[in-house]
Amino acid sequence: MNRSHSRRGFLRSLVGGSLLMPGIVSELLAENGAPSPDDPLLPKRPHFSPKAKRVIFLFLTGGVSHIDAFDPKPRLFADHGKEMKVDHPEVNGRPDYKQLFLKRPQWEFSPHGQCGTEVSTLFPHLAQCVDDIALIRSMNTSHSNHFQATLGMHTGSFAFARPSIGSWVSYALGTENRDLPSFISIAPFLPYAGAQVWASDFLPAAHQGTLVVPGPEPVANVRRRAATPRLQQIELAALRELNASHLATRAEDTVLAARMRSFETAAGMQLAVPDVFDFSKESDATLAMYGLTRGQNTGFGWQCLAARRLAERDVRFIELIDSGSSSNWDSHDDMLDHAPRAMNADQAIAGLLRDLKERGMMDETLVVWATEFGRTPFNNILDAKGREHHHWAFSCWLAGAGVKPGIVHGATDEYGMRPISDPVHTHDFHATILHLMGLDHERLIYRHSGRDYRLTDVAGKIVKGVLA
Amino acid sequence: MSRSTFWFPFFACAALAISSAGADDGVAFFEGKIRPLFAEHCAKCHSADAPKVKGGLRLDSREAILGGGDSGVAIVPGDPEKSLLIQAVRYGDKDTRMPPQKDGVDRKLSDAQIAALEEWVKMGAPVPAAFVKTEGAEKHWAFQPIANPTVPEPADQAWVKTSIDAFLFAQQPPAPPADKRTLLRRATYDLTGMPPTPEECDAFLADASPDAFAKVVERLLAAPAYGEKWGRKWLDVVHYADSSGNDTDHPTPLAWRYRNYVIDAFNRDLPFDQFVREQLAGDLLAAAQPRERYADCITATGYLAVGRRFGSGKDDRDVHLDLEDTIDTFGKSMLGLTISCARCHNHKYDPISARDYYGLYGIFASTRFSFPGGEHHLHPRDLTPLLPPDEVAKLAAAKAAIDAANAPENRVKRKIRGTIELLKMKFHDVKKQVICDVPQPREIFGEKKPEMAYAVTEGKPANVHLQKRGEPKELGDEVPRKNLDLLGGQLVSPDGGSGRAQLAEWLTAPQNPLTARVMANRIWLGHFGRGIVATPNDFGTRGAPPSHPELLDHLASKFIECGWSVKAMHRLIMLSAAYQQTSQAEGGFSRRRLDAEEIRDTYLALAGELDRTPNTGHPFPDEALWAFSQHNPFKAFYDSPKRSVYLMTQRVQTEPFFALFDGADTKVSTPLRYASTVPTQALWFLNDSFFHARAESFARRLLVLPDDPQRLAFAYRLCLQRAPTDAEAQTAATLIAAYQRESQSRLESWSAYSRVLLGCNEMLHLD
Repeated sequence: MNRSHSRRGFLRSLVGGSLLMPGIVSELLAENGAPSPDDPLLPKRPHFSPKAKRVIFLFLTGGVSHIDAFDPKPRLFADHGKEMKVDHPEVNGRPDYKQLFLKRPQWEFSPHGQCGTEVSTLFPHLAQCVDDIALIRSMNTSHSNHFQATLGMHTGSFAFARPSIGSWVSYALGTENRDLPSFISIAPFLPYAGAQVWASDFLPAAHQGTLVVPGPEPVANVRRRAATPRLQQIELAALRELNASHLATRAEDTVLAARMRSFETAAGMQLAVPDVFDFSKESDATLAMYGLTRGQNTGFGWQCLAARRLAERDVRFIELIDSGSSSNWDSHDDMLDHAPRAMNADQAIAGLLRDLKERGMMDETLVVWATEFGRTPFNNILDAKGREHHHWAFSCWLAGAGVKPGIVHGATDEYGMRPISDPVHTHDFHATILHLMGLDHERLIYRHSGRDYRLTDVAGKIVKGVLA
Repeated sequence: MSRSTFWFPFFACAALAISSAGADDGVAFFEGKIRPLFAEHCAKCHSADAPKVKGGLRLDSREAILGGGDSGVAIVPGDPEKSLLIQAVRYGDKDTRMPPQKDGVDRKLSDAQIAALEEWVKMGAPVPAAFVKTEGAEKHWAFQPIANPTVPEPADQAWVKTSIDAFLFAQQPPAPPADKRTLLRRATYDLTGMPPTPEECDAFLADASPDAFAKVVERLLAAPAYGEKWGRKWLDVVHYADSSGNDTDHPTPLAWRYRNYVIDAFNRDLPFDQFVREQLAGDLLAAAQPRERYADCITATGYLAVGRRFGSGKDDRDVHLDLEDTIDTFGKSMLGLTISCARCHNHKYDPISARDYYGLYGIFASTRFSFPGGEHHLHPRDLTPLLPPDEVAKLAAAKAAIDAANAPENRVKRKIRGTIELLKMKFHDVKKQVICDVPQPREIFGEKKPEMAYAVTEGKPANVHLQKRGEPKELGDEVPRKNLDLLGGQLVSPDGGSGRAQLAEWLTAPQNPLTARVMANRIWLGHFGRGIVATPNDFGTRGAPPSHPELLDHLASKFIECGWSVKAMHRLIMLSAAYQQTSQAEGGFSRRRLDAEEIRDTYLALAGELDRTPNTGHPFPDEALWAFSQHNPFKAFYDSPKRSVYLMTQRVQTEPFFALFDGADTKVSTPLRYASTVPTQALWFLNDSFFHARAESFARRLLVLPDDPQRLAFAYRLCLQRAPTDAEAQTAATLIAAYQRESQSRLESWSAYSRVLLGCNEMLHLD
């Protein structure tokens, strides 16, 4: 990567135009020299040797039905329409839910790949990737509401705002590319719980996720407003002069110097960010792999390709959210509403896995596929078309660096109601992700308001079964 | 457990812990590995919170751990082989396996966990002193009465301007004073959040009298902008927002009244103890106050009402979370205590028990809060009228009269009667009759409804049961409504209603060691950027100790002595040599960045676009049309040229500008603002439309002047209250010439220069 070279080139061009003071230039160019200790994003050592350098966290929002996608339940097909009873928070107290009936899955399952993992026809492209993933069928979480479960999947807290997992990883490891933020969330709409999903909360603000919205201007204020680069250089040079003379009598203040540097990074971002999201040099074959047409700048395929490009540029934590707090996987009325969501995500994700593999990036990239909860194996009328929220059991998967490929971890009972072996709570899921990043979830601690906080609260067990 | 059996293992353990490899390491090991393990795997059966303590063994305190259970001593410090607990977790003996099987499945701990337990026992089973409430915690400095320390005699009286200096500069002199321009800029931003105007600057520079700065302080304290600045600080602490934070983030259109009450309270210098009482119990104090303060007292309880709400408003599923937010904010804002830690268990470090928590919980659960609306009940209810009950009754009677008169049957009656009269009477009599028929009340009251507030009133007074491990369904003993033990532990009297009125008294009683200290520290923090206690919301044992304990007590006792006048504290602080030191010397004043509100308000003001009038409510959508859901939560941004404190602030969504420049967190109490430095802020200065538009307006102000030197001089006076240096003038000239060559536009050139000046470090930081 020629990033630092181009940045130096840019700075030198300013020097050439006598726009920078020589003393400042040397300080700016010394990016491999003594780093500023006040810089919260400096690369830091993990607790132990990591398997993954970065995370791509795919979040399919609304509650993807495990029993229609990743967790085959022949008994549900067989027992369709049978009445059953259950003490379930989504049902209790609802007047129309006195009677409950099992509901057959909407899609057929069949084994795929060398490993023979069963996936339904809802995800035909992902089904081709089962040899690369470790599927967890025994996920469970602590709340059956979107807001709380989404917050829990991102922060480990089911009620209160806490730092997002991406912020924790950024805090722990910093970043190697100073032209881009360490943690980027790409979301077309605001998710449940809003910006809390990528907030740094009490961690230093530099670790908050930078929101990227698919479309013509993915990062706010990154488009140069000055008419030409030259005009902006004139402006930056004058700013630097004023700041330099101000700093001259306040040299001990690292914040002032850091703020001067931040303008250089920002100038770099104006180039780096559009470059990330400019897909014009991608081949037709690559675009096709993600299901993209040339020039398209929305859709999960666009998000997935952007993720690969961010990963290439060493962004530490990349989250992709496939939709927002409406028009998502929350198929209460009709499970067939899953179909357009799958159309949006299936080929895109499979394309991402293939692309990462072909480029040799799977070895250092951890891909996480998650949703906030699953959906009930039952509903209240005999031929109900939809399913309710179900947090007792659902499916998620991991792929890439440090992950044992082609396996299934954990299992649910005959109806997919509850895990019967190796249950994995969201806290355990988080502990495992941190572990793959070389971080001990019990040692990744931040003292705030008189208390030590962890992503995993006081829980979390590493899911050893999915480790390579 | 008797006192003697309590002390024996306590000392035994302390001795062991100290004699082991390193007491701190041992405690850290316990905190990191053992406590979470006990909490997760053992506490359900082996803690005070367990429904039934199994085997008589508890693992939730030092004495219990070392005291053992029914089978004897569970841990022999230093000897894992003799420790029953270790044998149990190794799963050797079938009958004593721990944790026990569940549904026929072994739940043996991992090898690493067992090894950690063995290691810990080998280390001597160290347990930190503050694992449970201990005698020591009550000796903590913050829980001692406020002393009124003797003011020290400094080595040189010349170092001392106010008593504060005597504490700080007893041995060495203060840094040299800042120059007048710097001091004016500092003071003006500190008290009003705005830059000084050129006229204010000229007046101060021209005033050679010894009390010139004191006059400035008085002027600033009298400005309405003072309340807007300092009210905002309190709104940070109470995590004010204009929406509720529940799943739908329902708007709270009346919250603004509380916001304006706070601003007004600071402007009027409402004594802080009265401010505290009104916020907690204004509705109960209102009757005893002058009539014109009635609405204020009701509005003040918005302090409680504007707390964060959880869930969807379906049944009472999330009330325990709502009240946790109430108690958390109450503890941090009034007392500097993290009381909410005691929701699930006794506070691990401070002498605050779960009983204390549920004693307060009962008080707030006996209070009726305005309800903002939620997914399942879309509209607000339980709002409080801003009129006393007798006046509300009059209005209601008037309305009833109108309604009755307008009721269909009466209309018919009236019509019939009118017709009969018409037949009987001459025309002018008919006219009279019709007029008399128009209901009188409508003429007097019209359609007037009482103004409402988002506030609290009394509910049904009742104690609550302790919720084990914070689980609202797992109830323990009933807990009386009460004061915190560490503040006296008084019970709410039987005729005390919810207990809020008494709570307000307990909080402001002279013997309460915390209220005055905590606020005095906040005022200090507001001037120096760092509190004497660096953790303004945590004066507990895990908070930072005071850097100058005697000074803090001096300030707290002065605060009480001057009638809890916040403005008197500003004078005491700002007239000190400490406050007036230069920032460009070691140990001098701390430079700070402008906060988000100051940045926005300054740019609007310099652009000549700031509307200085206060705001009232916000243009929320008509309540009748509300249909917010989890899927379509309330989300809006209402731009306004007014000061930032008046902007509509959502709890769940953060406005990007305030998120970028470290604005207040609306989800939890914000005791102090951090100032981050991130490249996305620089992008804002480079490319944001708001910033560019303000700079252009500023440039237009400059271009009115006849020539460039005058423009530049005016720009510097407005922005930095000084003249440009020759080098700075050269920078400006170079930029404008170069920019003009490229852009061919004088406005664009001056706009570009304005961006440089408005965005430079000197502009953004206060010396």
